[in-house]
Amino acid sequence: MQKLFSSVGRHEWDLPLGYIPDMRVSGRLFLSDSLFESLEEGAVRQLANVATLPGIIGHSFGMPDIHWGYGFPIGGVAAFSEEEGIISPGGVGFDINCGVRMITTPLSVSDLGSREDIIGRLYQQVPTGVGSKSAFRLSASALDDLLALGSKWAVSEGYGLPEDCIRCEEGGYMKEAAPENVSEKARKRGIPQCGTLGSGNHFLELQVVSEIRDHEAAKTFGVKEGNVCCMIHCGSRGLGHQVCTDHLKTLEKATKKYGITLPDRQLSCAPLTSPEGESYFGAMAAAANYAWANRQIITHQVRTLFESAFGISPSEMPLVYDVAHNVAKWEMHTIDGSDKRVCVHRKGATRAFGPGRPELPEIYQRTGQPVIIPGSMGTASYLLAGTETAMEKTFGSTCHGAGRVSSRKEAKKAVRGAAVSADLKKQGIIVRAPSGDAIAEEAPEMYKSSDEVIRVVHEAGLSRIVARMMPLGVIKG
Amino acid sequence: MVNPMSIEELPHTADVRRRIRAESREELFSLAAKAMFAVLYPGKCDVWSEKTMTIDADDPEDLLWEFLSDLLYISEVESFVVCETVIRFTGSGLIATLRGEPFQREKHEGGREIKGVSLSGLSIQTTGDMMSCDIIFDI
Repeated sequence: MQKLFSSVGRHEWDLPLGYIPDMRVSGRLFLSDSLFESLEEGAVRQLANVATLPGIIGHSFGMPDIHWGYGFPIGGVAAFSEEEGIISPGGVGFDINCGVRMITTPLSVSDLGSREDIIGRLYQQVPTGVGSKSAFRLSASALDDLLALGSKWAVSEGYGLPEDCIRCEEGGYMKEAAPENVSEKARKRGIPQCGTLGSGNHFLELQVVSEIRDHEAAKTFGVKEGNVCCMIHCGSRGLGHQVCTDHLKTLEKATKKYGITLPDRQLSCAPLTSPEGESYFGAMAAAANYAWANRQIITHQVRTLFESAFGISPSEMPLVYDVAHNVAKWEMHTIDGSDKRVCVHRKGATRAFGPGRPELPEIYQRTGQPVIIPGSMGTASYLLAGTETAMEKTFGSTCHGAGRVSSRKEAKKAVRGAAVSADLKKQGIIVRAPSGDAIAEEAPEMYKSSDEVIRVVHEAGLSRIVARMMPLGVIKG
Repeated sequence: MVNPMSIEELPHTADVRRRIRAESREELFSLAAKAMFAVLYPGKCDVWSEKTMTIDADDPEDLLWEFLSDLLYISEVESFVVCETVIRFTGSGLIATLRGEPFQREKHEGGREIKGVSLSGLSIQTTGDMMSCDIIFDI
């Protein structure tokens, strides 16, 4: 695959116009030579497909964890102009605002006692897997408030600390949310699921900070070597999935109405300024708010459990930050020397805003935003900081994880869940999941090396390594 | 030799991709539903009750996509595990009889949640007496 690309910088590659017909801009990939070995033709095709969309600015970007998805590749980023651009659910995905957050604790590994016990209790506390329902009761009228205010609503109901909100992207809620654009079907799916993890690659993981690389930023982020922390990865559950399904239907019609030709139906879209585009944007923002509230409620469950298990108060378990992986947002970016408002789609990618951005809270103005990158099950996760280079090169974006290399079919053929669990246990990592297949599909060897993906984003300047964390135990959906 | 009616597991890095082959459109839709529920609830399924659903759509692919998307919705909201479906086409739409049972955690847990049915590459092909389609389920 590498011969299709030309090198334009360190780990930076250009996919030229003409790779497929109708590309409006080139593709831009961030990969090392070794990561090129696992680059799939399907992902390159999807990178090129995105480049054909109306109003795209700069390039169709692929982060180092790029892999084959549907619509956009996973690890895909594209910005669209306000005047000529489009919005597409294919650039966001079904799991709107699937994202990750990190909470620190003052505990050391020895304070945890039996890891099996605490992981078992977390597994009991946080509902996971297919068909799981939340113990948390949400009324139909409260859902409207939640959709409008996300984390802010959850905190106002007692599920968190006031400072949690400012430590989320967007302050924990997108102000453009239009709950009235969220269908009754989506609401019915959302009501029983708030405070649940879901399945697939969603997880809740206890980790220990194993290494600090940037001491000043780590101090600002509140991260200390040897301390236990918790990472929560989940999204907008059935509500977000239904919002995507509902609007795909209307946007398919809009694609025809506005005369847009597409190489993939999942890229169905409408002009940003059209009624169909605005309707999807409002519903997507409301679903994004649901995801922030969901992660906030799970955070509350974790803090409550830790308070009773270890006698530490919620204020001793601050949120470092909460980042979205699947979302489209209006952002100001400097393009050809002038500031422009553009709609940035990130699908399986993380915002990585550098120092001085007005969107960041005061505490992170000097460091840039915290960027939280989970590794695969059993491998290192990283805390990084956003950079000026990301602002200049990728509309302030970086990778979102390790990135899969093997299909779930191959995973189940290659490994058994019980064997993966036993291997991890030998390394001191406890895994709880509803089935062996859930573990096998997420086995570490099914993913790229998180160390290599992080090396590339660090060396390409898309984000800066602050700390490395190793897993202690994980619950999977 | 390929089984005339079959569900084939195709590789896909992030999600679940299936190739469905059947001798009629009714069978194709029923098998697609079976493939989806095998991902959601891989264990045993016993028929205890029946539901009916009606779908209308502009073209055959849209009809299949809406059928599967609505099945996902019903299964989740009504906690209903579908063992089998019987399809009857009606002009541009269909009436489906869904046979299955209520979700029970002990019996049905352990599958993978499906977030949505992708439109990516979804097209129904007819070759001679056979029909086929590839479907990507986002999990």
